[in-house]
Amino acid sequence: MSETVRTIRFTLNGETRTAQIEPHWNLVDLLTRLDLFGARESCAQGLCGCCTVIVDGTAVSGCLHLAAFADGATLSTIEDSHGLDAVQQAFIDTGALQCGFCTPGFILMTRQLLAAHPDPDDDTIRHYLAGNLCRCGAYAEIIEAVKLAAKRPKA
Amino acid sequence: MRAFELVEPATLREAAASLGADDSTIRPIAGGTAIVLMMKAGVFRPERLVSLRRIERRHAAIERTAEGGLHIGAMATLTALEHSADIRAAAPVIARMLRNHSNVRVRNVATVGGNLAHADPNMDMPPVLIALGARVTTISSDGERSIAVEDLPAGFYQTVLKPNELIAALEIPAQHARRSAYLKCTTRAAHDWPTLGIAVSLGDNDARIVISAATERPMRLTAAENEFRDPRKAAEAAADTVKIMPDARGSIPYKRQLVRVYVERALRAAMEAAS
Ligand SMILES: Cc1cc2nc3c(=O)[nH]c(=O)nc-3n(C[C@H](O)[C@H](O)[C@H](O)COP(=O)(O)OP(=O)(O)OC[C@H]3O[C@@H](n4cnc5c(N)ncnc54)[C@H](O)[C@@H]3O)c2cc1C
Ligand code: FES
Ligand code: FES
Repeated sequence: MSETVRTIRFTLNGETRTAQIEPHWNLVDLLTRLDLFGARESCAQGLCGCCTVIVDGTAVSGCLHLAAFADGATLSTIEDSHGLDAVQQAFIDTGALQCGFCTPGFILMTRQLLAAHPDPDDDTIRHYLAGNLCRCGAYAEIIEAVKLAAKRPKA
Repeated sequence: MRAFELVEPATLREAAASLGADDSTIRPIAGGTAIVLMMKAGVFRPERLVSLRRIERRHAAIERTAEGGLHIGAMATLTALEHSADIRAAAPVIARMLRNHSNVRVRNVATVGGNLAHADPNMDMPPVLIALGARVTTISSDGERSIAVEDLPAGFYQTVLKPNELIAALEIPAQHARRSAYLKCTTRAAHDWPTLGIAVSLGDNDARIVISAATERPMRLTAAENEFRDPRKAAEAAADTVKIMPDARGSIPYKRQLVRVYVERALRAAMEAAS
């Protein structure tokens, strides 16, 4: 096992980090070992978005993304925040979560969605978030939250 | 997943050289969305993965050719295709198809080369590219060659690519006045894997009609193509002749009925599409 260990360097939520990884680790394996539990593996097949991580500005499924690919990259997770932003506040205000397991993924994907479509209609929201599953079924409130966040000034 | 060796060559040529001539435990990895799933499921246990992530950036480019076609590097992501102005101008059917393909995160990393080399028979992009008459350029220690996308699959999850052969680029010819459409039938959610996919490219005197997700590999429906001027007749000809492979998303009679409905609809959609 140890002969395949490699050292990677990356920026994580604004800090420069190094880590010793195995080539078969994915991003969730890496992050949980760094005590970050916001990205969590659920479906493990790229379908549900619970493991969403922003890599160099684009959203990926951490469950399918090799940790080795983080070498030299800039990673951002739900823990990357200073207080609540407009999207997080809108999820709270509309009650867009129940157990909260899916919420980090939905928040990160909603930020991406609003960066690409500042004033999205229902169809755009549904298409963009189609790869995120909420087992509690808070979809109606989530769509409401996205629209509310779109209306509020960005922090 | 078990440990394996990961190499990250800086050029496509080096990457091809790092692959074994006949070692099935060494594979390239591009976006990783298909191969990591196969590794997690234990159906593929690599000794070595050759990452294409650090090869020359030009292999991710999307360019308009002088003839009006498209040259697309194998490492171009599906998201790059979806938002490319050149794709929207030269082959808008690709951008329309991608909107209902997988999800944003998969499209952000999945590549053209990985998509075509995966050879899963249940995919959306291969039938569209076959209908457009696209070809891939490949590279191996034996040199380069050009293969029609139609001839790339050799069967269920198999391609005609040699173990040390890499897809370098996709070439889509100028479509001139041809009109195209792709219809995807899903049974659970709009972005699901297709239960049936029908791609059509219509010229003045011919049509290419391609089926996916119902046969052993994506293929042209020649019986339907011969009747293309009458969408109803074409659909009946397709349903009567196609050899369907059932799967978890549909039985043989169910998929046959879908063929009957979707070939007609896809032909009509192509007739109404802008060229
Ligand atoms: C959640 C999810 C949903 C999906 N939904 C859909 C859908 O709705 N419709 C659909 O059509 N598909 C769907 N897919 C499949 C998706 O299209 C493929 O996983 C993706 O296109 C593979 O590209 P990649 O770059 O990630 O390939 P990789 O996983 O990196 O590689 C795939 C295969 O190609 C080989 N390879 C990679 N690059 C090259 C190259 N340049 N030359 C030769 N061989 C190469 C690899 O060795 C491997 O065998 C879905 C996938 C996921 C995970
Ligand atoms: S756990 Fe990665 S997408 Fe579901
Ligand atoms: S709030 Fe429970 S899964 Fe979405």
